[in-house]
Amino acid sequence: MTNNLQKKERTAVSSNPILAVENLSKSYGDLRILKDVSVAIEAGDFLVLVGPSGCGKSTLLGCIGGLTEITSGNIQIDGQDVTHTDPAKRDIAMVFQSYALFPNMSVGDNIGFGLEVRKVPKTERDEKVNQVAELLKIEPLLDRAPAQLSGGQRQRVAMGRALVRDPKLFLFDEPLSNLDAKLRVTMRTEIKRLHQRLNASIIYVTHDQIEAMTLATKIVVMKDGVIQQVGSPREIYDTPANIFVADFMGSPAMNILDADVTMDGLMARVEIAREDGQEPLILYDTNPGEGITSRPAGPLKVGLRPEALTDLGSRSVNADQQFDCLLDVVEPAGSDTFAVIRLGGTEVTARMHGDVDVNSGDTVPICFDLTKISYFDPKSGERL
Amino acid sequence: MSAISRSREKWVLLFPAILVLSLITVLPFLQTVWTSFTDAEITAREQQVNWIGLENYIWALTDPDFLEALGRTMYFTAVSVGLEGVLGIAVALLLNQKFRGRWFLRVIIILPWAVPTIVNAVAWRLIYHPDYGALNSLLLQLGFIDSYTSWLGDPDRALNMVILADVWKNFPLVAYIALAAMQTIPGDLLKAAAIEGAGAWKRFRSITLPWIIGPMLVVLILRTIEAFRVFDIIYVMTRGGPSDGTKTASFYVYQEYFSYLRSGSGASYAVVVAGISAVLILAYYAGIRRDQRGA
Amino acid sequence: MHRSLIASFALYSAALLLTLFTLAPLVWLVLMSISSPNDLTSVPLNWWPTEVDLSRYGHLVDLNNGAGHRFLAALRNSLLTAGGATLIALIVAVPAAYAFSRRGASLALLFVFLATIMMPPITYVLPLYEIFGGLGALNKTTTLIIVYSAMLLPFATWLMKSNIDVLPVEIEQAAFMEGASTAFTLRRVVLPLALPAIAATCMLSFLVAWDEFFYALIFTSDLSAKTLPVAIADFSAGRVTDYGVIASVGVLATLPPAILAICFQRFIVSGLAAGSVKG
Ligand SMILES: Nc1ncnc2c1ncn2[C@@H]1O[C@H](COP(=O)(O)OP(=O)(O)O)[C@@H](O)[C@H]1O
Ligand SMILES: [Mg+2]
Repeated sequence: MTNNLQKKERTAVSSNPILAVENLSKSYGDLRILKDVSVAIEAGDFLVLVGPSGCGKSTLLGCIGGLTEITSGNIQIDGQDVTHTDPAKRDIAMVFQSYALFPNMSVGDNIGFGLEVRKVPKTERDEKVNQVAELLKIEPLLDRAPAQLSGGQRQRVAMGRALVRDPKLFLFDEPLSNLDAKLRVTMRTEIKRLHQRLNASIIYVTHDQIEAMTLATKIVVMKDGVIQQVGSPREIYDTPANIFVADFMGSPAMNILDADVTMDGLMARVEIAREDGQEPLILYDTNPGEGITSRPAGPLKVGLRPEALTDLGSRSVNADQQFDCLLDVVEPAGSDTFAVIRLGGTEVTARMHGDVDVNSGDTVPICFDLTKISYFDPKSGERL
Repeated sequence: MSAISRSREKWVLLFPAILVLSLITVLPFLQTVWTSFTDAEITAREQQVNWIGLENYIWALTDPDFLEALGRTMYFTAVSVGLEGVLGIAVALLLNQKFRGRWFLRVIIILPWAVPTIVNAVAWRLIYHPDYGALNSLLLQLGFIDSYTSWLGDPDRALNMVILADVWKNFPLVAYIALAAMQTIPGDLLKAAAIEGAGAWKRFRSITLPWIIGPMLVVLILRTIEAFRVFDIIYVMTRGGPSDGTKTASFYVYQEYFSYLRSGSGASYAVVVAGISAVLILAYYAGIRRDQRGA
Repeated sequence: MHRSLIASFALYSAALLLTLFTLAPLVWLVLMSISSPNDLTSVPLNWWPTEVDLSRYGHLVDLNNGAGHRFLAALRNSLLTAGGATLIALIVAVPAAYAFSRRGASLALLFVFLATIMMPPITYVLPLYEIFGGLGALNKTTTLIIVYSAMLLPFATWLMKSNIDVLPVEIEQAAFMEGASTAFTLRRVVLPLALPAIAATCMLSFLVAWDEFFYALIFTSDLSAKTLPVAIADFSAGRVTDYGVIASVGVLATLPPAILAICFQRFIVSGLAAGSVKG
């Protein structure tokens, strides 16, 4: 392994982001696709850009790569303004969703294409191609044509083509979305391992929030061309910036319920209506944030992750806040059992232990854990 | 790539094409327009070329021979394109049926299209030959005629005989386009109509024809543009004769230039012909638009 | 659905009629070329040759025979002219097509390109004749090649454009990301992918050039540049007493396009459809 594939020294002081996008907008005619987008990534970051299909993720990646003209804003790579620079001169590599392998070239030539363009001598080129092939475990495929490869193999070749040049930044556009579920999980792990090993700077686009959570050091959630939240996977999961992020990230999705929230001493009293005629649930949040304490009482949206509604198991739950609930539907999923409960005018999901013995129609005690409750403005949907 | 270099690159890529077309078509066309306002002649001598304004055009548009040639061209165009349309659709309908040996017909149908125009003209001239032609012999042996006829010798008939030869060569193109369009009709649509009790004619009128009309319109306008400039087949089969009975507009201009050597007046005829072609070309683009909107 | 007997009969009759209408003129041309002059001048005709006479073909490929000399010269000129023009047209058309397909060049310009070939050649011919005359370039194969390449260019550009349109754009983007220039990407990525389209475009261009008569008639005057169509027109206009000679020249001139058309029918038909219908 020559040094180009060895771990880069992580720069201790991250004064200079490897990529900085500032106030980028992109329109096609009157259609505004990206609206005032700003993101930055430090060397060694694995930034995952996540959002529903059609929200402009590929467009943003195309802008960063230089494949798409931007309408306004600017882009810097390693401190240099590249807003109007050729893709060729940005020192970026991209892995496309469709892999975009050159069908008329062998796997080896595909991987070595960038070196061929740079007129690297054949022997040196072969050496580097072989190293990458070894890293990705595709040495036996080097002489094949892309058409003869399986989806997973093509994916590796596409990554090999990106890796061989040792660029400043990698762009991945939904690289796993064309693989079957099992392979997707394997490749996910492998990409993560690769990132740790090479300490590369990566921007990775996906519409799959699980990929985002598992891979990212930093997540950017986007919707309709607008960035909703930037943060670590933990931050995004625990403190979603708005109802959209809360709903989009996490599976099953966060439960969003209507509630009446009033201050009761230092605690917030959260009252959630129940099905026809039943007593409302009264829950207490012992540590409400400033957004709640300073707010007049009234109806709000509250968000509770499914794991905040659980059975009395080994988890350290606050058994104080325990209520009998009717389980509408029970869905065992192996390690967990999910149950649907009607609460607050909607259906909520509770996450119970995999080994609980419950059936649809049972009424069982459910513990409510409000330590990570989120409050949202009912009109704007913003976090309070 | 930056906006500037990309748009500059576009022109670099286009430059050779624009250069070739400017030199070989656009500039000569402008030259022709200019010449049409002069009394220029084709001559080896030094000549004084005078600007004479619209005189050539006044002459051209009042020249009964030229107007007749235009009328003849329109007749040729209308009849041959009309026949090609009808024959093309009929052949496509036939080839869209399932029957034994269909593949063979589909293959050989391309042959007339592949025959060079000049060979087509020569072959039909031989077939029409007044003394030894195959048409005479065939009709005589079948008892349709009593004695040999000079098919191309009669001014009124000659043009129709030329049209037949032209239709034979050009119907395959129309048939292929019609067939391609018909093959995109969902089979269920026709089946459903048949179950509803629609007869063959009704199905053709209300499903097939509307489905293929767009592409047909486009290909027929294209054929119209081509037919309107007809020259080769006339040159070989009749040289415009007999008694100018097949003298079409292009042939007329050709003679004005290269027989009478009057480039000024020839150019004005050419510009008139070009003007009519331009109208047809615009119709073609309108047809394409319509076709795309319909699709 | 089963066809009735009457419908079947009508169908097969129509098919037979169409076969006769399509093939009869061609078969007769071939028969003429191998019939003896006596068979061809009997009244009524002797449809089937009493003996097969291949001597005309022998003469046509014999350089020492007058007709053969003319025919072979014209054949050479036609091959050179059509081949050369096709090559130049393609070389010029591919970058232009790329500009239209991928660099946002205005389609209005492409329509102007196409309009130039829809105009009757008589609108261009005289100035060209005078310019080439002034340059002493009349009666030269090169001159015809240049004129023909302008004639082939718009259609070739159009065909190539619609074929590049459907290539996956990401593959080119991948090449750009890898640092390739547009020229390099065209050569190494786009052209190999567009190879079938290029073959189809070449074939159609070649056939159009092979068929061209008007410019050749006006710009050439002797064996050094006359193409086959002009030579055939000469043959048929001259005082040839044996019509079989004309027929055999016709057969030989038809063979190359007919073989191409039959072998590559799918290519050609889809190319024609693209050229005439698709927007
Ligand atoms: N070239 C284009 N012209 C017009 N609209 C486009 C173009 N490319 C993408 N779009 C639109 O931009 C939006 C975002 O597309 P994209 O970035 O591909 O979404 P994502 O990758 O997040 O699924 C889509 O609505 C798409 O239709
Ligand atoms: Mg996308």
